[in-house]
Amino acid sequence: MVTVQRVRAGILPCLLLAASTLAAAQSPSDVEQGRRLYDGMCVTCHGFDGAGGEAPSLSRPMSHTDETLKSIIGNGIPNRGMPRVRRFTDNEVLQLVSYVRSLGRVASVSLPGNAERGGEVYRRQGCTSCHMVNGNGSSLGPELTGIGALRAPQHLKQALADPGAVLPRGTLPIPARAYFEYLPVLVVTEDGREVRGMRINEDTFTIQLRDAGNRFHTFRKSNLRRIEKETGKSLMPSYRDRLTAAETDDLVAYLSSLRGAK
Amino acid sequence: MIIQRLLRFLPGILLAMALNQVPGLAQVTYQRLLRADSEPANWLTYSGNYQSHRYSQLNQVNRQNVAQLKPAWVYQIRQAGVVETTPIVADGVMYITEPPSTVTALDVSTGRPLWTYSPSIPADVIAIGSPFGQVNRGVAILDDTVFVGTVHSHLVALDAKSGAVRWDTVVADNKLGYWLTLAPLALDGKIIAGVSGAEAGIRGFVDAYDAKTGERLWRTWTVPAPGEPGSETWAGDSWKTGGGSTWLTGSFDPELNLLYWATGNPAPDWNADERPGDNLYTCALLALDPRDGKMKWYFQFTPHDTHDWDANQIPVLFDAAINGRQRKLVTVANRNAFYYVLDRETGEFISGTPYAKQTWAEGLDAKGRPILRPGMDPSVEGTLVYPYVGGPANWHSPTYSPQTKLFYQAVREVGAFYLKGEADYKPGLAFVGGGQRALTGDDAYGAVRAMDATTGQMKWEFKLQSPPVAGLLSTAGGLVFGGTEEGNFFALDAESGRPLWDIQLGGGIRSGPISIAVDGKQYVVISAGFALFVFGLP
Ligand code: HEC
Ligand code: HEC
Repeated sequence: MVTVQRVRAGILPCLLLAASTLAAAQSPSDVEQGRRLYDGMCVTCHGFDGAGGEAPSLSRPMSHTDETLKSIIGNGIPNRGMPRVRRFTDNEVLQLVSYVRSLGRVASVSLPGNAERGGEVYRRQGCTSCHMVNGNGSSLGPELTGIGALRAPQHLKQALADPGAVLPRGTLPIPARAYFEYLPVLVVTEDGREVRGMRINEDTFTIQLRDAGNRFHTFRKSNLRRIEKETGKSLMPSYRDRLTAAETDDLVAYLSSLRGAK
Repeated sequence: MIIQRLLRFLPGILLAMALNQVPGLAQVTYQRLLRADSEPANWLTYSGNYQSHRYSQLNQVNRQNVAQLKPAWVYQIRQAGVVETTPIVADGVMYITEPPSTVTALDVSTGRPLWTYSPSIPADVIAIGSPFGQVNRGVAILDDTVFVGTVHSHLVALDAKSGAVRWDTVVADNKLGYWLTLAPLALDGKIIAGVSGAEAGIRGFVDAYDAKTGERLWRTWTVPAPGEPGSETWAGDSWKTGGGSTWLTGSFDPELNLLYWATGNPAPDWNADERPGDNLYTCALLALDPRDGKMKWYFQFTPHDTHDWDANQIPVLFDAAINGRQRKLVTVANRNAFYYVLDRETGEFISGTPYAKQTWAEGLDAKGRPILRPGMDPSVEGTLVYPYVGGPANWHSPTYSPQTKLFYQAVREVGAFYLKGEADYKPGLAFVGGGQRALTGDDAYGAVRAMDATTGQMKWEFKLQSPPVAGLLSTAGGLVFGGTEEGNFFALDAESGRPLWDIQLGGGIRSGPISIAVDGKQYVVISAGFALFVFGLP
């Protein structure tokens, strides 16, 4: 739910307009049907009008052929967080492809920031102490080498200002079943010891955490007095008041430019 | 040497003789199946007995010592896939199925394979409807023959000692989406089988085959043809592709001579525009005469289902006093989130109580028909409804303990946005008309719930990290065994739900536990991931 509201707020009205006029140019009923399907099944991840969010923006030109798009939508992308939402008829897949294509005609929005300057901000702010890019840095937080391909700019902006509003989801459909990753958890042991860390894994009887010092802890739940899941929180500090608007834009541009190992 | 081995086996032989069986000769007569409870060393039918209690009379492993359970042996499945098998154990041999439709016989004391049978399955086999792919839940045994249903829709009879094929019968056309996943049920000279395939728009049925020849004795359609009773609950030609699969093993009452078999969803699942009406006999429990397949009564849990709430759950038979009167009951924890208590002689509805979160019905009326809340049908935008498509209960077995008189169910608490889509029937392709977007991850959880079997009132629950796919076993040792998606196999106190033992098996558990004895020693058996584990006391 949080995702949908956030992404909706991030949409530029002109983008919406552009999408609908261009969409009208190609088989309107297919695109319109595709949009209805999309709003029911894809919007939580890809954002309204494909603006992006937890999953990449779709409102940009994509190099996929229709066949690849059909396969991505019909089968999902295993282990990458793109599910096969449900079974479609051939016609429904075509409608979705038409809609996704109509989004792609929107010229990719150029980001206001400067990626090079953003790289400076990244190093200056010590992001490296918690994140890795191309093998450099520390592994407390998620690896960011491909973050620009995985997350939309709006999401990245929010991740800086309001970490924890949307935690990354586990990407294995079964058995991880889309748990929140990096969920902060406070445990209190029988003898009163407190450990706060991020959940690495959990089953009915045990829980595994990594603390702020990147140290690993494992507990049997029956030996704990309390387990507090701090939903909505993050071990990452908020950069809302630490960065100027221009620095934020630059940083987002930098993160968006990270598209996988070079 | 031989003498020594004989001596070592002597207690077992004596035990076997005391239990009136001949070791080494898998002669599992109908008489033995009838009295499965009297030989708890074996596990002779899918649910342990015809009443489907999945309860073991063995009490060697109990509350006091269960924490000492250790693996005795492990068998590795050879072809990766989801293992849903319930082993059949008879006279020193364990018969399991491996995905997709392979049967393997194992030496029950060592886990060493004795023989294996793999049907040749065409590469273009059609298996639509199972989220876990080409699964199989196990075999049936009768006399010296083992029976397996296959993904390409055959029923095959194998010699119990060698695995040689005695007969191989085509049940239905796989090109139309028919396939078999269930463990067949062996009765007196007959093998009962049902089919999967409602997601491909099959027309469902229950079949009986001659155990000796493989010849079909009768077929009872679960969707009536025009003119037959119930046909008025279908519109136009919708009955032809009406679904109503029969993909889970039923139960049997030898005294009433009635077979209880459940039916699945109408097709297409989530778009019901072309099938107005109750869509009999989908999402129902059927009471059939095993002699000719005639329907004595039916009870439809979810008329005109639009959520894919198959009624393919295990019907559990027991007798109990209700309002001071002793009654023969059949109870079901249904996928629609209600626990039903029915009179198994007449099908009369006695009570129905929610045992998991549900938002689709105000309740049930005096006849057990749901009182619907408006606006709960699937929509293109998605309609949030509890339970999700998988249901709080599904095929994973419940257990009934005659000792505690409790009904135990592994429950899944999950909601979903139900999606309506197009439904376009093409033979052998998915015919579903929508789907779901489930609220998974941290929004979902599971539990083992113990309910008063005659009322459905919850006595206790043991919470699970995530929605389970594993069945339960209760034992005379006062235990309930169960498993989790994360790979925990565990034992609870049957009276209180207190956890007494658990072990991490490294792969999700998607089958039901059983208990057996070898040479007078009790074992508990479960599959997890790609392996089968056997646990015993040190
Ligand atoms: C659970 C979140 C989720 C849902 C729901 C979802 N997607 Fe995705 N999708 C993703 C992720 C994550 C990726 C990126 C995968 C990767 O990095 O390879 C993706 C990738 C894609 C791509 C490829 C993008 C590219 O640039 O190559 C397309 C096209 C797509 N999704 C379409 C859809 C459509 C259409 C739907 C609805 C039917 C949908 N997705 C539903 C998460 C989701
Ligand atoms: C103290 C450690 C820490 C520091 C410092 C830190 N982060 Fe994070 N970061 C995390 C953690 C933990 C998460 C995962 C939880 C979350 O999303 O809030 C995260 C998440 C993120 C994400 C979202 C990843 C995703 O997959 O959605 C981005 C983007 C990000 N950080 C960028 C940055 C940048 C840029 C900086 C420096 C300005 C920074 N982080 C500083 C710990 C840190």
